[in-house]
Amino acid sequence: MNPKDLCRPKEKWVGKENINQIWDKRLYWAKILLFIVLALLWLRLFYLQVIKHSYYLNKAKARSIASYVIKAPRGEIITADGVVVATNRAIFQLYLDLESLINEEETLKKLSLLLKEDYGLLKEKYYLAKKASFGRVLLKRNLSWDQVARILVRQYYLPGVIVEVEAERYYPYGEAYFHLLGYVARISKEEYEALKDKNYSPEDLIGKKGLEKLYEPYLKGVNGRIETERDAQGRLGKVVGRSDPVAGNDLILTVRHDLQMRAYELLKEKRGAIVALSPQNGAILAWVSAPSIDPNKFIYGFEEGEWEKIVNDPRKPLLNKAIQPYPPGSTYKLITALAGLRAGIIKGLNWTVSCPGYFPFGNHIFRCWERRGHGGVNLIRAIAVSCDVFFYTVGARIDIDLLASVSREFGLGRTSGLGFSDEKAGLVPDKAWKKKRYGSAWSQGETVVVAIGQGYILTTPLQMARAYTIFANGGHLYRPFVVAEVKRKDGSSIFKANPEFEGKVSISAEHLEWLRTGLKEVVESGTGKAAKVPGITVWGKTGTAQVVALQKKTRHLEHHAWFVSYAGNSTPEIVSAVLVEHGGGGGAVAAPIAGELYRAFYKLPSLMKKIPEEKPEETPSELTEGIINGNFTSN
Amino acid sequence: MEILLRTKVFIKENSLALLSLFTLTGINILNQLGMGETGAYFWKNILWNFTGLVIFFLILYKFDYRRISLELVWVIYGALLLLMIILALFKKRWLVLGPLSIQPSEFLKIVLLYLISLIVSKKKEFKLSNGEGIFLLLTISIPLIFLFPVDLDYSGIIFLMFFVFLLFLGFPKRLFIFMGIIGLIFLIVLFPLAWNKLKPHQKGRIYGYLDPEKYSKTWGYQINQSLIAIGSGGIVGQGLQKGWSTRLNYLPAKNTDLAFSVWAEAFGLLGATLFLVVYGYLLYWGLNVSRKAKDLLGKSLSLGIVLILLFQLIFNLGGASGLLPMTSIPQPFLSYGGSITISTYLLLSLLFNIAFRKDFFK
Repeated sequence: MNPKDLCRPKEKWVGKENINQIWDKRLYWAKILLFIVLALLWLRLFYLQVIKHSYYLNKAKARSIASYVIKAPRGEIITADGVVVATNRAIFQLYLDLESLINEEETLKKLSLLLKEDYGLLKEKYYLAKKASFGRVLLKRNLSWDQVARILVRQYYLPGVIVEVEAERYYPYGEAYFHLLGYVARISKEEYEALKDKNYSPEDLIGKKGLEKLYEPYLKGVNGRIETERDAQGRLGKVVGRSDPVAGNDLILTVRHDLQMRAYELLKEKRGAIVALSPQNGAILAWVSAPSIDPNKFIYGFEEGEWEKIVNDPRKPLLNKAIQPYPPGSTYKLITALAGLRAGIIKGLNWTVSCPGYFPFGNHIFRCWERRGHGGVNLIRAIAVSCDVFFYTVGARIDIDLLASVSREFGLGRTSGLGFSDEKAGLVPDKAWKKKRYGSAWSQGETVVVAIGQGYILTTPLQMARAYTIFANGGHLYRPFVVAEVKRKDGSSIFKANPEFEGKVSISAEHLEWLRTGLKEVVESGTGKAAKVPGITVWGKTGTAQVVALQKKTRHLEHHAWFVSYAGNSTPEIVSAVLVEHGGGGGAVAAPIAGELYRAFYKLPSLMKKIPEEKPEETPSELTEGIINGNFTSN
Repeated sequence: MEILLRTKVFIKENSLALLSLFTLTGINILNQLGMGETGAYFWKNILWNFTGLVIFFLILYKFDYRRISLELVWVIYGALLLLMIILALFKKRWLVLGPLSIQPSEFLKIVLLYLISLIVSKKKEFKLSNGEGIFLLLTISIPLIFLFPVDLDYSGIIFLMFFVFLLFLGFPKRLFIFMGIIGLIFLIVLFPLAWNKLKPHQKGRIYGYLDPEKYSKTWGYQINQSLIAIGSGGIVGQGLQKGWSTRLNYLPAKNTDLAFSVWAEAFGLLGATLFLVVYGYLLYWGLNVSRKAKDLLGKSLSLGIVLILLFQLIFNLGGASGLLPMTSIPQPFLSYGGSITISTYLLLSLLFNIAFRKDFFK
């Protein structure tokens, strides 16, 4: 040991010990500080990398991967005779991508110059579209080549402005097919939320009505997708994922295009509906409701104020009138007749009713449309001249529940199973219904009114056409269908319609013969002579349904004109129901339309221009005062 | 022969620390490789690490930390101060010498560390008088005043790390409390004034820190991108050169300030934990070196080194992970940079030197 150390003062030595102790103590705190720092940092990393991992991974993905939807072309819709009635066409769309848009106002100003559109209007359009959309903002549809060229050469100065070629729905025949095909429009936010897992993109078109809606899953196809890496400067890099779009499937309809076009032509100036069916299987041959709208406008836009006009139009162009309920009027008398035959009220062709022009029942009087009266009429004559008194007589004796059950056998009172969501079931009244609806008992006077197709009974044109297939084919009720086949683009079939037999109406050969003769007589010598077509046979029944005015003011409204019929050479091949709302008399207004339709069906020359403006041969009589909510006449 | 024997013993006793150092060197090189296409940085980084290691071994063997005189350090201090004044006048952070850009603040840390340690160790005890405390604070503050206008963040952090160092060295408690009160009053009175004086980007950093998502396109861009990079790394990471944030240039300053985010994205929580464990071990070992050192200079120096490296970690990783506001301060062994690499190796060579030389006292 160094002697110097021995001389060292004692305190100093103690002091040195103290220094080490003090320092170790401080180092101890330094270690704690170190551990706290490390622990805090590690816990933070654990939180970010484990607990919030998927959150940040999704953010990283959303930021680094640009995903582009390649829209699948929607399936086409083709008629039975091979005419494409809903197709796609390539158009240029102008989008604004909000993520890469740098200066809204500046960009819109530039675009207004390039598109030669008013800046203010464009701005308004942009903000409206922005509010409604939730992806890119579709600023303008259907750009012209000129506009595309002007934008594309300046694209470098227009960040966020995207011109895309897209396949958009196009309906070459516009209004004629509107109510059958429906239309497509851009998917709404609510629909997107519900469907986003099913490969829908925010810019997709979706079927909103008619077949476009009903067959949406078949027509849609599968969107493709390109995923590209996008760096911080917005440059796109390598493709990391790609799936090709699969085109939607085509629908082959049972509709005959020439017939459909003719039907629309016949009805377009009026308001009403035409439904034509095949009596052999229920296939729909034509389907028109008027007035109509061009479905292309739902995609390419309505003109200023046009939409409001459509919505407020009292003629209700949006409504599919082929499946809306109307009083069937005299077209219902055939069902009354069958019920009467079954009940044994009509005992045969020798059973006659004498028609003085009115029918007293209880304490009031029901009028026949022919005020002078028809004299003595049997069943066939009663159908031919549409004698109200004959059917009042049947109605006065028949049980309403029997009439209702026969009506249901004919498919009335329920939807047809076609699938359109706006199809109405109509109404077949019976005792139970009256009790439930009004809490009161059925009165026989009401049966008298229902017997001529007035009162509570309501049917749709589709139902009436379907009901008459029973007379055409001898008793078979089919479920109507309009899509014969769903085909893939390669031509293979996904789905083929099989006629669905719903039930057989029991009707004896004798009764059937009588009723058919009656229907034939309507056209030969009765109220429906205007439907006569030389060379073929037409069986039919006119109807003039009284409109029950809710208010006195609307009393002037004319009656609904009906003509339900079928035609053929030896066997019936087409059944149709023609309804013209507030058209007037069925024989004068609806029957000639049916005749023209059959001429088109059998490719016979049209008589259209030669039809003289005949004075209505039948007029509904005035309501008589009575205890029932109106007394009815019908022919 | 004796030095060989000592070396053997030293390696045996400190093998883990040496292993940690080399691991960190490896991590640094690997991380710069992970940056992807910026090849120049990768090779330059290897060059800096190589140079750093050469300096490290030279100092470890050929240098004795006790041999530096206080006068020499004062001279270096003066020279560095002059340089910083000149740079401040030109509003420059770096001294550009041909291909080299030197950041004097990195070396200021070493000089201040040495200066304080030498002054304190002369006293034979770890207790400062009021006068000494104020004198040392001024010694620290004067160069920082000139760093302040060009590098606000770093000057603040250097002040903070040395202030904490002084606390460990026995800064008078009363003075500390007094200063704390004065500081608090100043903060309350001057903060609204100072806040208005701050430049938008400086204020923005606070906004960005408080709500990275809201300001994700403006002030919070850096922090937001950093959080996405770290978070998307998950447990095992996206793999070297594979991370979206790194590869697609979403991470700003990925080579320097946000180098940790690159590492965490590529290797996930496992990689980040490895880095923390190794780096943390080295600092822990450093504190033990301080404990075992036989002289006050060695004790003081080694604690100072640990504190400097710890504060770099706190502010770099804290900033990158959103615990603290983002500051532009490099992370030793992750960030690219000549000055930071060399100064880190210098600091560690000193630490190892102290560990190595303690045996000479036997």
